[in-house]
Amino acid sequence: MLPYFKLAFRNIFRFKRRTFITFFATSFGLALLIITIALMNGIDKDSISNIINCQTSHIKIFKQGYFDRRNDFPMDLTIRDPQRYYPALLQIPGVRAVESRILFGATLIKGADELPCLGVAVETDRDPDIFNIKEAILAGDWLQAGDSMILVGNDLAKDMGLAVGDSLTLRMITANEKENFNWNAMDIEVKGIFESGNPTVDGGRIIIPMAVAREGLSLPSQATEIVLRLASDDDKLIDAVKARSEALLNGSSSRFEARSWKELASDFLAVSEMKTKNSSIIIFIMLLIASVGIVNTMLMTVMERTREIGMLAAMGMKKREIMTLFICEGGFIGLIGSFLGCVIGGLTSWYLEVRGFSITSWGETMSRMSEAIYPVKGVFYADLTFSVLLMVFVFGMAIALLASAYPARKAANMDPIKALRHI
Amino acid sequence: MPVIRFENISKTYHTGKVDFPALTRVSFAVDQGEFLSIAGPSGSGKTTILNIIGCLDKPTSGTFFFDDQDAGARSGNELADTRRRHIGFIFQTFNLIPVLSAYENVEFPLLMKGDLGPRERREQIEQILFDVGLEDFINRRPAEMSGGQQQRVAIARALVKQPKLILADEPTANLDSQTGKEILKLMSEMNKKTGATFVFSTHDQMVMDQAGRLIRLKDGVIVSDETRE
Repeated sequence: MLPYFKLAFRNIFRFKRRTFITFFATSFGLALLIITIALMNGIDKDSISNIINCQTSHIKIFKQGYFDRRNDFPMDLTIRDPQRYYPALLQIPGVRAVESRILFGATLIKGADELPCLGVAVETDRDPDIFNIKEAILAGDWLQAGDSMILVGNDLAKDMGLAVGDSLTLRMITANEKENFNWNAMDIEVKGIFESGNPTVDGGRIIIPMAVAREGLSLPSQATEIVLRLASDDDKLIDAVKARSEALLNGSSSRFEARSWKELASDFLAVSEMKTKNSSIIIFIMLLIASVGIVNTMLMTVMERTREIGMLAAMGMKKREIMTLFICEGGFIGLIGSFLGCVIGGLTSWYLEVRGFSITSWGETMSRMSEAIYPVKGVFYADLTFSVLLMVFVFGMAIALLASAYPARKAANMDPIKALRHI
Repeated sequence: MPVIRFENISKTYHTGKVDFPALTRVSFAVDQGEFLSIAGPSGSGKTTILNIIGCLDKPTSGTFFFDDQDAGARSGNELADTRRRHIGFIFQTFNLIPVLSAYENVEFPLLMKGDLGPRERREQIEQILFDVGLEDFINRRPAEMSGGQQQRVAIARALVKQPKLILADEPTANLDSQTGKEILKLMSEMNKKTGATFVFSTHDQMVMDQAGRLIRLKDGVIVSDETRE
């Protein structure tokens, strides 16, 4: 095998310009593939992190039937005295923190301006153990239990022209009626503005202490959900805790339903899956271009070296060995192209992992469009792993070997007499 | 015992609906160590005979014996093995591998044969390159050598594996007359030194004059077979 390797390696540099173009096509395709995968992984990772840390945590427990009607904020499906379940829930292995919240429809009114938003009533002492809003305070302070104030998302504050210390009117959908909603309104002060990095949260949420919300919503001891934070994002742990907590709260009845973050963020995951499928088509086209480059180079090589192939056959080289020689040449093109692709793609992805890719520089429209799809704001960060590099490298090699199989077979099946006569 | 034996060999090429008889009932034998020239005008069947002797082609009828064995009964891989071990080729256009040096071109058939260690291989290559007068050109690639030098490398490549038979298809056709004479002289010397059988096709009178035996062909039939002193 060694002489064929040596000959194959020398042969790929016989036509330097063509080889360079093939290397370029292969490495460019593979580098793009790495960058695309790294960016998609990074966006997914940041999106999931933002969803878990700002919106869903790991598990939410609702009153049975609430989840299906969650977009209507059904105040008739609340959990009474949720605190009584905390000790038992905290006993479940893997559960790190628990709190209860009320989600309600609201409108912010300041002068002639009014904007609808989602109100989130939190237990101010427990919420920081579960969500990252406290860490994301941009101006002002985190809420205290006795405060009659709110926190506003930065984008929402900008839209309303709000600053810390401003007073406004908060209109809340109350729990009094099942279908005919009534409103309750209160004047309230902005204590802080937060910037979580999740556009849905920053552009459409206010945070309010539980006691204030309960008073406004006429829910003396209820909450719409109990939120669990676990020790890790591991799917198996989440499924186990979800089943255990449901069993624990329900006993033999079915009063409660637990939902994992994946169920709560099913819309995003569906979009993400569709995006992966679409990206796969783009990646397939990229690799097709790279493999066509290799096939073309190898076919040209076989044509140009017809007489040499005849000479090798005359010297006693068998069909299998001629095929091996040409597959080795394709393999070397794949090896070098894949290596260069991994270096270029790896370095670019590393840069995008550290510095990020700013979508805002593409204009406001692009920025808004991306925020509508991904719960990530402004800058996309890549997430490159060694397994991606390894997978792309092996993939590049496999494509090169497959692409050179046909030209190699063509070379091996040449009639040596005709090949020797070839001009 | 002859190295090569043709028994009533005919070869017909089929081109579309037309059959072209390249050889008609040709019989002859060649002994070990002969220096044989096959001569004749274009289309007389010289190359067809060389192709059959070189186990690259099979006759339409008749039997070709190589080393007293019917070559027609061998598979493609067995014939490739025969070429690899027992037959050296010298081509009109040299056909060296351009990406390999003179040394590496000569080494290639030994690596294919695979029965020598690195030290023995090196000794054998250096000796044969010395014999053909290229000891100072071992690291040169074909593009850096003259036609005569390239043909010397081709001769060294054919001889290095110590084959029973060397086949040369018009070996001087692409060389000037002086270089052609030198190459022919070298082939004659190597024939005497190694004892390998040389069979070459030509229509060059100077080459015919140097041959120990001359077979003349016309229209696929042997018209004369003469042995010289």
